[in-house]
Amino acid sequence: MSPYDPGSVVKVIRAPAPGAVRGAYRVFGETLRGLKTTFMRVVEGPITIQYPEEKTPVYPRFRGRHKLHRFETSDPANPGLEKCVGCSLCAAACPADCIRVVAAENTPDNRVSAGERYAAVYEINLSRCIFCGYCEIACPFDAITMGHDYEMSDYTRSDLIFTKEMLLAEPIERTPLRREGE
Amino acid sequence: MPRPERKTIQLTIDGREVQAIEGTMLVDAAKQADVEIPYFCYEPKLGNPVGACRMCLVEIEGIPKLQTSCSTPVKDGMVVHTRTERVRHAQNAVVEFLLVNHPLDCPVCDKGGECPLQDITFGWGLGHSRVIEPKRHFVKPLALSPLVAIDRERCILCYRCVRFSQEISEDYQLIFTERGSHAFVATHDGHPYVAPFSGNIVELCPVGALTAQPYRFRARPWDIEGGAGVCTLCPSQCNVTFTVRDEKVMRVLARDNEGVDDGWLCDKGRFAYQAIHVDERITRPLVRDAGVLRPTSWERALEAAAGLARHRGRVGTIVGGQASNEEGLLLARLSREALGSSDIDSRGMAGSGEAGAPIPADLARVLAAPALQASVPDIEFAHTVLLLGCDPRDDAPILDLRIRKGVRRHGVRLAIATARPTALEANAKLGVRCEPGGEGRLAAALAQAIDGTVDAGAPAEIAELAQLLRDGGEDVVILYGERIGAEGAAALVRIARALRLAERDGAGLICLPAGANGRGLREAGAVPDAGPGHGELDGPAGRGCAEIAEAAATGEITALHLFGTDPVRELPDRALWRRAMRSAALVVAHASVLTEGLAEHATVVFPAESHAEKDGTVVHPDGRLQRLRIAIAHPGEVRPGWAVLAELARRCGLETGVRHAVDAFEQLVAAVPVYEGLTLEEIGGGGVRWPERPQASALAPGEPTTTGGEAPSGDGRAPDAAAASNGALRLGTYRPLWAAPECEISPSLKFLVPRQRLELSPADARRLGIDDGAEVVVAQNGTRLNATAVVRTGVQEGSAFLAQGLAADSANELTEPTIEVSAR
Repeated sequence: MSPYDPGSVVKVIRAPAPGAVRGAYRVFGETLRGLKTTFMRVVEGPITIQYPEEKTPVYPRFRGRHKLHRFETSDPANPGLEKCVGCSLCAAACPADCIRVVAAENTPDNRVSAGERYAAVYEINLSRCIFCGYCEIACPFDAITMGHDYEMSDYTRSDLIFTKEMLLAEPIERTPLRREGE
Repeated sequence: MPRPERKTIQLTIDGREVQAIEGTMLVDAAKQADVEIPYFCYEPKLGNPVGACRMCLVEIEGIPKLQTSCSTPVKDGMVVHTRTERVRHAQNAVVEFLLVNHPLDCPVCDKGGECPLQDITFGWGLGHSRVIEPKRHFVKPLALSPLVAIDRERCILCYRCVRFSQEISEDYQLIFTERGSHAFVATHDGHPYVAPFSGNIVELCPVGALTAQPYRFRARPWDIEGGAGVCTLCPSQCNVTFTVRDEKVMRVLARDNEGVDDGWLCDKGRFAYQAIHVDERITRPLVRDAGVLRPTSWERALEAAAGLARHRGRVGTIVGGQASNEEGLLLARLSREALGSSDIDSRGMAGSGEAGAPIPADLARVLAAPALQASVPDIEFAHTVLLLGCDPRDDAPILDLRIRKGVRRHGVRLAIATARPTALEANAKLGVRCEPGGEGRLAAALAQAIDGTVDAGAPAEIAELAQLLRDGGEDVVILYGERIGAEGAAALVRIARALRLAERDGAGLICLPAGANGRGLREAGAVPDAGPGHGELDGPAGRGCAEIAEAAATGEITALHLFGTDPVRELPDRALWRRAMRSAALVVAHASVLTEGLAEHATVVFPAESHAEKDGTVVHPDGRLQRLRIAIAHPGEVRPGWAVLAELARRCGLETGVRHAVDAFEQLVAAVPVYEGLTLEEIGGGGVRWPERPQASALAPGEPTTTGGEAPSGDGRAPDAAAASNGALRLGTYRPLWAAPECEISPSLKFLVPRQRLELSPADARRLGIDDGAEVVVAQNGTRLNATAVVRTGVQEGSAFLAQGLAADSANELTEPTIEVSAR
């Protein structure tokens, strides 16, 4: 025999029936409490952001789409050397395995970076990237940083593989940066 | 010298009781006890330690100062501490010191990620440096040779590369110049470091100072995978690891196997991988259409090749040395069972040209007796090693290093009996020269001198050699080339009996075949006069290479099946082979490069696999079965060799039952009695020597019926009097290591591809008025070759040597035994 035996008769115990006022409060009370917040906010005006016409500003350390950098020069017609030397440490650090680097050697005729080697191929598969920023941390030359761009959707997967030229190009600043104290 | 005895002693390392063999270095004993001691310069393969890097300092009780554990042999009862404060301080200081001039350009350095200096700095370094002075600077990167780049800033002066050059390969090219902190690795006068084994220094270098040019910036350690394989570019069959990135072989590293290669690789094995991924390689089947080879589908190509069935009984098959055992077996089955022809040969150069007749099956069987087989390590520990008609430097380069090691470290006495001076001349105790093609007669004279049939009257040199072999210790290892021919082989059987080589474990014979897998192909039955496992044939023996050429030229053979070889390129008598291939109605070839003969005469060309793509087994000259494994995917439309042969056999009316590479292996094991019960798992990564297996007794050597013909006339040493009288030189040929299509299409090996050189003696050079380095014309019967004269003191007067297997001006063009030489 089990230790708990309820027997064959089950007795139902009900709560006492509420009165009219108490019943009405029970029906509408919580709704009114919620509406109180609504009516209080109505006077503040709408805060909806009309994306894509309007964009959410991001914090300075927001980790968006990557950028590759060049050394800065004052002459815009003669861009500086690439900072990336193709060491592939970003690819080693990447937990999503989305970076592919194929290095090559600089020659006097074709000097691309400051070191002996440069990245002949530098690809990031953004459909696989988890935007952890480890590549930025791993880079010994600050050649790759995380930008602020978060608008990266596209119609095909292959279009999400960003090549070195795309990553080096000055991005169209589409994302506003959040101002101090905002 | 025989292997030394090993005594075990007891010592304490970091409080652990450790058993070690007396004489081992402390660092090795610690490794066995799982105590890690960091080091850079120590490498047991390089011989005696030098204690140059000071990284392995340890504290030994009873010795006041810290000791380098790499150069301190263990002693009974020794108490060693490796982690005391004093040791830690010393290790920190050494790392700091080594980094004083190291540029720390790890992101651009090829070694980054697999660099002992990085690892040790991380594990044993302090993490910062007090040095603020500028580092020393060199021009970098500098090409030490077209294959190796040197970055002297990164060098930590560990001496490894210099020791390799001085003590292992003995090319004496690398040295240290300047002193103290100005010291750097260089060559004499800044000459490029070009040597057959130069690539090993890249693998030895513990930092990124020496890097391989072809691998420069190709990949990082985390981009790559390693695929274990075997190099089949020569009979040494060194064990290698293919570094693979994106299904492409990026470099080749040695895979240390004491029984095969001792951890070294030659530059051909290390750098000829580039031939796998060049545009010259054939990756689609080709069929001749209106006189031009055009790419086509496999279906069409197989259909065209199945025309072999229409030439039943008139098909000649030539098997290249790189074919695996399985391919050899399938080719033999295709030829014998489907095409009704026993005209199949894989012996290549052997037994043709100036060399003797090919070794017949009965002698080959006796020489392959398990008791007579020496292993590669036996070379190192023998009392005497005899080279008979072979030069390991060209035939199986890694054995050249093994002989040098034996001579240098274990006191092996080396004797050389060849026509052409070998690369080991300086290490030899005794050398006997014979005239080109006289190796067989020399062996016969030697056999007589050893077994005492001709006691008096043997020439002094031969008597001395016989005495060295007979009385210099029981363990005699004889390396012989197939060029000694039937006569030499018969004599060798007598020599082996007289010296009782079969009774000693450490004594025996090693045959260096012409083809990389020559031994395996013979055992698989790809020879005209024997079935699988040296077995008897049902029918009469077929034709060998030379006879196939003649039969094809006269129309007795109407179709040729060439597996991985171009006879016009590889075999003697090019004119005959050109005629033979032109006359043949159907020439089916399997090749990866279109060499001359195939480009002009092949009807169907199937793309062949490289050794990184193959699945199969090969046999080392010492009887070790080794496994080839697939490291990369087949490029283009290349199909496995076994699959192509099985399909071709099916279309010729033979159902082989081979549907997978394993089926072919199982058929091989079933067909060859001495392989019985062998599995791929048993072969594994290190291989299995079949002469050591109990099943080896299935090979009953029996009595040879071939005796080598009549009693030899002369001892082969004196040049032919008739030839010498009219000023002509007796021609000998050799196959240089670099004379291979693989080297010609590997971009970074192109500079090594040999041009024709005429090696002649100083006396002949004087007589003919030819200086060393002069351009000469070699003429014979209207055939003229251009060559550069090289005067070698070791060459016997009256003899001259030319290289064969070259694309142009090759000795294969010549057929007569003598040549006329004139200045150009």
